[in-house]
Amino acid sequence: MTVGRSDGRTAAVLVVLALLAAVWPSGRLAAQDSQFGIRGLGTPGKSESVRARSTGGAFAPFDAFSPLIDASLADVRRMSANVTSGTSWRSVDAGGTQASLRGTRFPAMVIAGPVTPRIVVGGGFSTYLDRSFGVVIHDTITLRGVQQPITDEITSDGAVSDLRVAVGARLHRRLALGLGLHRLTGSTRVVATRSFADTVNYRTSAARDEVAYGGVGGSASLLLDVTSDLRVAGWFRSDSKLRADIGGRTIAENDLPLMYGGGVQWHAGTQANVAGTVSWRNWAGVATIPNAHDTFNWSVGAEIGRPGSPFRFGLRGGQLPFGIGKTPTEVGYSAGLGRQFSGGRGRLDIGIERLQRSGTGLTERVWTFLLGLTVRP
Amino acid sequence: MTRRLAWLFLLVAAGTACTENATSPGVCPNFCPSDSISIKDTIFTTIIERDSSFRGYVPGYASEAMTATDVPGVVESRPFFTIDTMFTRVAPKSGDTTTVPIIADSARLRLVIVRRDKAATNLRLRLYQLPITADSTSTFASLDSYFHGPVVDSVNVSDLLALPAIGDTATIRIWGDSIRMDSAGHVLQISRVDSSLALFFTLDTLQAPFSVSDTGRLAYGVGVAADSFASVSLGSRESGGNGPTFRWFYHDTIPDTVSATPDSVVHSDRFVPVRFDAFVFNPPTPPLDSNLAVGGVPSARAVLRVKMPAFLHDTIDVVRATVILVPVNAVPGTRSDSFHILARPVLTDLGAKSPLATAANLFGTTVVHIGSPDTVRIELTNLVRAWSADTTLTTTFFLGQVPEATSYTEIRFYSSRAPALRPGLHVTYVKRFRFGNP
Repeated sequence: MTVGRSDGRTAAVLVVLALLAAVWPSGRLAAQDSQFGIRGLGTPGKSESVRARSTGGAFAPFDAFSPLIDASLADVRRMSANVTSGTSWRSVDAGGTQASLRGTRFPAMVIAGPVTPRIVVGGGFSTYLDRSFGVVIHDTITLRGVQQPITDEITSDGAVSDLRVAVGARLHRRLALGLGLHRLTGSTRVVATRSFADTVNYRTSAARDEVAYGGVGGSASLLLDVTSDLRVAGWFRSDSKLRADIGGRTIAENDLPLMYGGGVQWHAGTQANVAGTVSWRNWAGVATIPNAHDTFNWSVGAEIGRPGSPFRFGLRGGQLPFGIGKTPTEVGYSAGLGRQFSGGRGRLDIGIERLQRSGTGLTERVWTFLLGLTVRP
Repeated sequence: MTRRLAWLFLLVAAGTACTENATSPGVCPNFCPSDSISIKDTIFTTIIERDSSFRGYVPGYASEAMTATDVPGVVESRPFFTIDTMFTRVAPKSGDTTTVPIIADSARLRLVIVRRDKAATNLRLRLYQLPITADSTSTFASLDSYFHGPVVDSVNVSDLLALPAIGDTATIRIWGDSIRMDSAGHVLQISRVDSSLALFFTLDTLQAPFSVSDTGRLAYGVGVAADSFASVSLGSRESGGNGPTFRWFYHDTIPDTVSATPDSVVHSDRFVPVRFDAFVFNPPTPPLDSNLAVGGVPSARAVLRVKMPAFLHDTIDVVRATVILVPVNAVPGTRSDSFHILARPVLTDLGAKSPLATAANLFGTTVVHIGSPDTVRIELTNLVRAWSADTTLTTTFFLGQVPEATSYTEIRFYSSRAPALRPGLHVTYVKRFRFGNP
């Protein structure tokens, strides 16, 4: 493997992207949060590395550093770690009410290494459900016979994380099997504040708490090389109920969906890879949540160029699990670059993603700047 | 080098991008949390219990002001004070035991009006001479005849206020500030700090007779009159600077046996302190009954105990709390006699002698208007919030007049013995938000 050298154009692109990230007007929004998740359990995270996400998610089943499936760990040849970060700017249009939001997340981290030539053990975390949001509500109520303007602010900051311990085993030169154990954990700091325009007579009410989440899950997956250029993947995951505790007392238990999916990857030559993925989740089985929907998601993407400095792009579409009326939909476009350095011991990936989510009464548009770092010590 | 700098810049820029703004206008109910902040407004009519009143906290002679009022048929209030002893002889030569008598020439009396009704017209103060035996046992009746005797001096405050200020250099040097002076020599100064009025009376030897047998002691009473709103408060010696002051001007003659300047006349002056001051009024404060009395002389306080419901402790957030008190009747007097009452929590409930808390942020106050029978409301939000958050606090508070015993004014509220009109606590609270549910 050779390490490509950057020319001036690459540097210029990097500088432009950096400037966009740094000086974009504040007050924009945010990672993978969505207003659609407020009335549900949250916004499902994307178990994808920057590489996979730059291809619309299509490469996730075939990328060892995307915590989507476990079988892909079998491709790891030496101890490696990867971390993903994303900064998003989101504009929300809900029935004429518009807002611009912004946020930064570290949605995934994977560390893996072989314990035998055929068995690779890995682990890490990813975002299972993002529960960061804030809403401000202005209203006027009648108190003691007087109209009182009030402002309510309800914020939640945190997420349900998916801690994973997984094994990827190459059972045959064409077949890899993956098994994973998942511990769902995390917490959200929640604050509900009501303030009054009449600050002389009324005090601001603020309730704060921390909601802790817990659950377990298991996953299984297969990678099959049909030919030397064609690989298919399949996966399945099941989780227990998601428990929500406050102060050690369980206040809610919600079912979590089964997830299954499949993908295909084609090596179209030495400098081109194409992949496609489909997945399903039966969120509608979460009977305790009204307006929950089963979801189907798809993605296609490609990676072109030298392995040391590829260019990636992709397209994704699908549905979101929570929303009134018809199932909200999501369409996204993404692109990115990768660059190996230090003789292949490190790799920096950058990507840009554009998402549009539409549902009854709400439209979201999201720009996300992605940055990923892989280290092979 | 360019490539490395670009990557470095990228990392730094990505770091600076780590700012959050996740709050947007809520579009409810579709895109808001399923629970909402709900507010309740409840009047607790029976949680104030074991309430009563006690009198005797501050006597009239210990108050920081003295009220002079003349509302015929309603109330009359008259301050009075006695002047302390004055030496009657002086030693012309230091170290010599020979003394000579002093001859009083005049005196200057200062009274400070700390409260008045600015709408009062033709406001007058009158000085009456009282017996020097006037003290804390004196009553309105025992002193009444003296207030029908000759007037020692009288000053029209309204006229003085209408005069132009005299602010020449000599006046400023003597008086410290500009003055207003009438033809009779009464001087008025307006305080730059609190707009109180300092009135100076110049009294001759008939108005301020110097009695050797009484060692110079004198006593005066003050009457007030006006076309309307005849009510003022005079500072007392407990007020810390606004009390009456009395200054003798005298002379003595040096005998030829003790000085190189025989038969020369030496003029001098001396401040003498006020020995006692108080005020008497009619009708007198009625005795305590089953109602809650606040104010009067000696001052009365009411103690109210609140039995906090358990749910006010742990499931809600109090945003406003108001004590509701129904007066038995309107307080008589003039409108400028309106007064503050203060609600103060106690550190521990020991009945009448409960130590009062000093955390001013927990106090509640309101103004009681003269002649108004309206329900009195005192905001106690901070106090009830504190009680709600800390179950170890004593849920008892006192009601007292501020300042105490400076006026005849007293208000009486219905107590818990009057079921229909008993004190209540009006609480507005936010119910606890149910976190954890989608």
